[in-house]
Parts: sequence; structure tokens; C-alpha cells
Amino acid sequence: MTGKDIVKIMLNLIVIYVIGGLILAIVHANTSPVRYQNKINFENQALKSLLPDSEHMEIEKLGDWKIHDKAAKYWVAKKDGSAVAYIVQSFGKGYSSYINTLIAVDKDFKVVKVKILDQKETPGLGDVIEEDDFTNRLIGKDVEHLKVLKTETTDFVQAVTGSTVSSRAVTDDAVRNGVAFIRDKMKEGGPGNVRK
Amino acid sequence: MSANDEISNWELIKNGILKENTIFKLALSLCPAIAVTTKLKDGFFMGLAVVFVQVMVNLTVSAMRKFIHPRIRLPIFMLIISGWVTIVNLLMDALVPDVYKNVGLYIQLIVAFASILARAEMFASKNKVVPSMFDGIGMGLGFLVALIFVSTFREIVGNGSILGYSLFGAKPLLILVLPAGGFFAVGLLMALFNWLYARYGTRGHAG
Repeated sequence: MTGKDIVKIMLNLIVIYVIGGLILAIVHANTSPVRYQNKINFENQALKSLLPDSEHMEIEKLGDWKIHDKAAKYWVAKKDGSAVAYIVQSFGKGYSSYINTLIAVDKDFKVVKVKILDQKETPGLGDVIEEDDFTNRLIGKDVEHLKVLKTETTDFVQAVTGSTVSSRAVTDDAVRNGVAFIRDKMKEGGPGNVRK
Repeated sequence: MSANDEISNWELIKNGILKENTIFKLALSLCPAIAVTTKLKDGFFMGLAVVFVQVMVNLTVSAMRKFIHPRIRLPIFMLIISGWVTIVNLLMDALVPDVYKNVGLYIQLIVAFASILARAEMFASKNKVVPSMFDGIGMGLGFLVALIFVSTFREIVGNGSILGYSLFGAKPLLILVLPAGGFFAVGLLMALFNWLYARYGTRGHAG
């Protein structure tokens, strides 16, 4: 290798790095606000979609809590200044991932709606827990009835065939812990009396 | 610069889709072909991303082929590939966030696609910009077409739906959406593709 080669190789690398770096910087600068906004919109939409009549409600963040060492949040939904529902984020340990869920509960701490925000369960099997067909089975249940059974049941939650582990992770782990947490948290402050 | 100069652009595209189809003929890049093809929508966007990266990489490599020192051409190709993949990654995250949620991990893996580096090394580094672009389009489309076939097949037969709409209200052959079934699906379609190709594809090229 001659000196000329070395100079050329150096020049090659410098040019590639500089041009590549510039292009990447431009793309990054232009997309990062959009990506940030997407994440916020996604969360807001998810929160709104959990409650019927949510246009007339104000959703206010109350605080943070931890489950499975993961940071989660909880909110209160207010109508005309008084609390009508709570939303809590929770995680459940699934078959191949932690399942990130949002749970809305009414003032009696019964589930109003559950939404799966993120999961990496087996495609085609475990990921059916994301569908309404499963999450609707949780509606109206309180802490005592948030339990997965493999048999046919309406009092409790029926497991999805082939996805028992993921069904359990959502119901027995994420949702039940989430509901129990928000119930205990709110009861400390007295009914309807939200502690700030 | 051998016979490649005389091959028309249309031939280059056809070559990528049929004769040297990445999945069905060369059996390269099977990992993403199995991982993201449980649903047609995911497969389609993954394929599109690959078309874009393949074309841009071929263009860049071809445009720079006289400037790049042969001794460091492979590291340079890798830098070019990873640069374009990062761009696609950022763009998809911003523009199609719901698809990105499913295919994001595999988009980043495009960096390691054998097929992309292979075309940069075998074709783009030896040919002019325009043929390289058509070669990229052909190879990318070949991958896209294969992914569309595999994901349509798996979504219909394995999940009983198409583009998310339920077809039969049941899942006929659930195994096809599982990773192991992905190999069966690719294998079956590969056999079909090659049978059809052997029967009809070589017509007029007898010899």
C-alpha cells in the first residue's frame, strides 16, 4: 500500500462520514418533533378512547407508581369538577414480554375498559389479547373477579384458547394489580376525595 | 462491465423479481421474511422499506464506485447501507407509527441483509448509475413481491383474515402464523414459485 492509497482511503472515510452524518442529522432534526408528537398523541388518544363521553371530561395526571420495576402513571377523569373515573397504567409479565396496559375504572373500581398499549407476545397466538374480543371480557369486573379461568365463565375472565399465559398476564397481573393499586390509593384519601 | 451493459432496464427488473428472486430463488434474507409476514400490512411496508434501501444503496454505491478505494469498499458499503437504513427507520417511525411498532426491529436489521450488500458488491460497484437503479428496483420488488405472497398466504390461511378483516371467523391453520409455520409457508410458496417458473418462466429461453 502506497502513501497515495492511504490518503485516498482516509479521504473516502472522511467524505462518507461527513456526508452521511449531515444527511442523518437533517433527517433526524426534521422527524424528531413529529415522532415526539406521535407519542404524545398516541397517549392522549389512548386515554380518551378508554372512557365513553370523554369529550366532556378532563383527564388529569395524578402521579406515578411502579410495577415490575417499570414506571407507570395514573390519572383521574373529572366531569364538572368531580371525579367520575380513574385510569391507571400497568404492566403484566407475559409469555415473551411485559404487556403495557391502560385500565379505566369507575368510582366503584370496576373495570370500564382495558387497552393494550404495547406487547410482544407470540404473533398470531398471544397477541390476540390486544383485540376487543378479549379485553371486553374484563369489563365490569372488580379485583375479586379479575381472575382467568380456562373453563367457560362470565363471572370471571375466560382465557383465550392457546393464549392462557398472555390472558393471565393481562388479567391476573396487569389489570388486577392496577385496579388494586388505584383502589387502595384512592381509598386512603377517602371516597371521592382525591389526594393531590 | 461485461454483458451487463447490454441488458435492458426491463430485463434487470424482471431478473430481480423472477430469475434471482431474493427469497424464492436465492433463499436470502429469510429471517425477516418469516418474522414480519404474519400480516399483509406489515409484510408490505417491510418490503417497501427494502425497495427503498436497495435502490438508494445501489445508486450511492454506483455513483461513488470510482471514488471508493477497493481495499475498503466493504466497510464503505456497510456505512452507506446503515446510513440509508437509519433514514428509513426514522421516516417510518414518524410517518407510519402503527406499522413501525410491529416491524421496527426488522427495519434496523435491513443493515445486515445479505441481499443488499450482495447487490452493492456484485452489481452496483461495477455498473453505471441507471442500470444500478433498475437492478435495485428489481431486487427490491422481488423481495416485496415475495413478502406480499408469503404474508397474504399466512394471514389468510393462518389467521383467517386479510388486512385485518376477518374472513371466516376462525383460524384455519394457526401454525402458519407461528415462527415454525413461517418456514412451511415460505417452503410451500418457494416450491410453487419454482414449479411455475420452471414450467412457464423459461419459455423462449430454451437451450
